[in-house]
Amino acid sequence: MIVIVIVIAAVAYGIVVIRHGFSARDNPSWLESSVARKTRSMAVPSSAKNMKNPVPKTPENLKEAEEHWADHCAICHANNGSGSTTIGRNLYPKTPDMRKAETQGMADGELYYIIENGIRLSGMPAWGEGGDNDEASWKLVHFIRHLPQLTPEEEKHMESMNPKSPEEKQEEQQEQDFLNGQSEPAKKSKPMKH
Amino acid sequence: MKRQFAILIVIGFFASLALAHGNEQHLMGVVKSISKSSITVQTTNNQIQEVTITDKTTFENAGAPSRMDDLKVGDRVVIHAVKSGDKLVAHTVRFGARKAASVHSR
Repeated sequence: MIVIVIVIAAVAYGIVVIRHGFSARDNPSWLESSVARKTRSMAVPSSAKNMKNPVPKTPENLKEAEEHWADHCAICHANNGSGSTTIGRNLYPKTPDMRKAETQGMADGELYYIIENGIRLSGMPAWGEGGDNDEASWKLVHFIRHLPQLTPEEEKHMESMNPKSPEEKQEEQQEQDFLNGQSEPAKKSKPMKH
Repeated sequence: MKRQFAILIVIGFFASLALAHGNEQHLMGVVKSISKSSITVQTTNNQIQEVTITDKTTFENAGAPSRMDDLKVGDRVVIHAVKSGDKLVAHTVRFGARKAASVHSR
């Protein structure tokens, strides 16, 4: 009886999914989120979860990690870890707000393991070689812990370290010139897409 | 002919005022009015555009974090916003002159 109910529910869910179609703009259902979190947790070996950060949390290491984050991670995670970027908002699943308990509640070793090995079927790539002594990744773990206390000044400083395409640099310069009063406000008429 | 083509390119280049990034738009213009939940801007092509402000909108004055209260009618602004239904919702509002930020390279 239970099997029949499960099969009927699965078929009904399948019909709904097929009719609705697939879009990365959707938010994962509660069921998907729960299964994904559990699977992610299971994917990190217990030995990795118990690892302690061997890198001291010094201002120098934190600054280095901040620059590293701005250069490599912020394009999806945003400088402040909110995940509110064009890529982060439109991934499936969405890039999480790393300042919140779901991330901050993870063990240091768990965060390190995810940075090193990535997360399958998500946008998170494996950034390391998978060993347990990648100093840069351990420094990033310190920075992730720092995210909830990130100041607007730190965030502003990080913006200057975010990678930019030549078009973005040019656009940024145009905007700055406009704010500095170096271009007339009533001459432009057509939107430019890129 | 080459000269005309070059002029066309230059005009096309400078014709940009609302720079789109997927769903994101960049507006440049002058503040015409301010309410608690929106800013109305006369854009650089003389369009009047209302932009919604939320509690997530950040303000930046001369490169430093700021507040909506510091913005005044007549200020030049650069607004980065996303389209939400028929509204344009700002996530960043920049105003105030400053030197261009240096670009970090690795």
